Amino acid sequence: MAIMISIPAGVMANQQTANELANNLSDTINQTGQSINETLIQIDCSLASDFAGFGFRPPDSSSFTPGQGGFVPGQGSNGGEIPPNFDPSQFGGGVMPGRFGGGSFGGGEANPMNESLYTDINSIDGVAAVAPMLQVSEGQNVTREFMDRSFTILVPDYVIQGIPLTSELIDKYSILPSNITAGRNLNAGETGVVVLSQNNSAFFDAGIGDSITILNQTFTVVGIHGGTGVSDQTSLYMNLNDAQTVTNNTGYITSLRVFTDSSDVVSQVANDIGELHSELTVSTGQERLTQLQQIQSTYDAVLENAQASVNSTQMVALEEIIVVVAATSLIVLFVMLYTVRERTKEIGTLKAIGFSNATVMGQFMLEGVLLSVIAGVVGIVIGTVAAPTLSSLLLPSVNLFSGSTGGFVMRGAGATTTVASVSLELILLAFGAALLLGAIGSLYPAWRAAKIRPAEAMKYE
Amino acid sequence: MSKPVLQIQKLSKTYMLGKRPVNALTDLNLQVNQGEFVAIMGPSGSGKTTLLNVIGCIDKATTGQVLLDGIDVSQMAENQLYKIRRDKMGFIFQTFNLLPYLNARENVELPMEGKIKSKSERKKRASELLAMVGLSGRENHRPQRLSAGEQQRVAIARALANDPAIILADEPTGNLDTKNKHEIIKVLAHLNLARGTTIIMVTHDSQAANHTERMLLLKDGRIVKEKEGLHLAKKNHKCPHCGSSITLKDDMCPSCKMPLYASEEIFPS
Repeated sequence: MAIMISIPAGVMANQQTANELANNLSDTINQTGQSINETLIQIDCSLASDFAGFGFRPPDSSSFTPGQGGFVPGQGSNGGEIPPNFDPSQFGGGVMPGRFGGGSFGGGEANPMNESLYTDINSIDGVAAVAPMLQVSEGQNVTREFMDRSFTILVPDYVIQGIPLTSELIDKYSILPSNITAGRNLNAGETGVVVLSQNNSAFFDAGIGDSITILNQTFTVVGIHGGTGVSDQTSLYMNLNDAQTVTNNTGYITSLRVFTDSSDVVSQVANDIGELHSELTVSTGQERLTQLQQIQSTYDAVLENAQASVNSTQMVALEEIIVVVAATSLIVLFVMLYTVRERTKEIGTLKAIGFSNATVMGQFMLEGVLLSVIAGVVGIVIGTVAAPTLSSLLLPSVNLFSGSTGGFVMRGAGATTTVASVSLELILLAFGAALLLGAIGSLYPAWRAAKIRPAEAMKYE
Repeated sequence: MSKPVLQIQKLSKTYMLGKRPVNALTDLNLQVNQGEFVAIMGPSGSGKTTLLNVIGCIDKATTGQVLLDGIDVSQMAENQLYKIRRDKMGFIFQTFNLLPYLNARENVELPMEGKIKSKSERKKRASELLAMVGLSGRENHRPQRLSAGEQQRVAIARALANDPAIILADEPTGNLDTKNKHEIIKVLAHLNLARGTTIIMVTHDSQAANHTERMLLLKDGRIVKEKEGLHLAKKNHKCPHCGSSITLKDDMCPSCKMPLYASEEIFPS
């Protein structure tokens, strides 16, 4: 019975978690919806990062290790100089040894592109603006063992996002971090300043107005952004020129973001870019839209699942409560019936020596209530101790939602740790329930006790 | 002449054994006066226990009248009868029927609970009664730490708790060895002599019955025989063996040296 009283604690926690999950998912879906609108006139062009590429031999590289496959370790910020005229596109994919190689698995960081090779994109019909971008991860090399081979991968501390700070671009298009939570955003033409994410702020231990050193160069923090996706959580934004200088990538970028005059010409422009530069991976807003819609429908399905889960947990909770109530009452009933049966002679004696039916009945009711209250107290103690374990056993389905889907991590969903806490309210509830169930369960046995004939006392053992 | 404490007129009791009616008692008449020590004897199935149950208000007569202390209890409802049992009756059972989780004194206090409000008064009275049956100093012992004879003495003290008009004893010596059997008979005889308590005892045991003043033989639901017992002479301060004068305190006759209460000598087994 003690255990049974602790079950509702787990059930309540279950419901709470499912509700939280549903709320978090709605937030994520709203954010995804916004990205869809912004993405309609965009075309992103980059050299595909290809982890599986073989046969790539970079010039002037002493750090290349043959046989390590496509995923060549990054060397941190001090290695892998890139010759100014080196065009990696001629090698058809592969990963540069050097800091570009070290993107996170999920991030798909692009290969460096020589900016000057792509100026012709500007003159394609329908192109309104071209924003060259540079994205470089900085962090530590960590060696990991995988299938008898050791890999050195870069675990990024932060990601430098170089943004062209021309007023033409930042006024008309959303290329700057959108979610500024403190300070201000980057201004046109500004250099020597950065906008950090909250994670960066913690990593550099710096706030608004502080100076930080990135790759031996000093920057002033002007703003903090809240991020709009998980990849953004480690991104710091600065002038493209600053980014190129500080990462030793003058003249190099990792992607081009092309903005078209209208969403109608997007596919035509994308075709033209593809014809002009077949080595580029071109993704249009339309394609991204389709992707996002797929993701959204996945989210919708997940949300639906979550809501169904909430509903079913509530149903389960209700069922469990009914079962617990019924079982507890039945246990009290049977225990008390057994007690009454065992003590028939004693009850007969009490009645023979002058106890009234009411007194006998009251005595047994009291006994039943006391029994279940004692069990209730034991149950509350066990429940308080066991609730966290119990709830994690009860909640495997909710934990399935954690993790990432298609590169988009559902924020909050997996982060919700489910710990059932036993509140005072719950304790009082359990205590009251024990009292009530004890009374209900012992009603009939007590009545049976009262109906025992005093002549039963005369019977031999 | 002492007044009647129990009057039974034309008492019949019919049980249904399946569909067949069984007459346990048939047109039974009985009068017991205050201060009498009566034994009801008879073979199994003769109706002894039924009669005791009807007298004790734990069973109802089919027809006839039962007057207890002048009150007609034969048609009373249960919510009245429990008071009669509590105030007018004292029960002694063959199997003692003490509550195992209560000590001797608490067991004796039990019947007083509905009647005497003051806890200290109940406690005092229970201790007095235990002293009377020879158990002073054993008040705090639980039944399992008492011998069978001692347990039955606690039960006797409990039966006396509310100063009943009649003590009903159902085979009080049935579960006792010879020595304890004699002890209990002696306690009952003493109670009857010293306090004038009316005792009706149902027994199989003719030796125990012989130590009452009046023996009734029950057969097929009727009283078929009545006989004087040894106890009658003692009430008149006479030795039942030689007729010489005795006092209440004597355990044996001062002149003929015969034991006055049940003992192995007069009941060679």
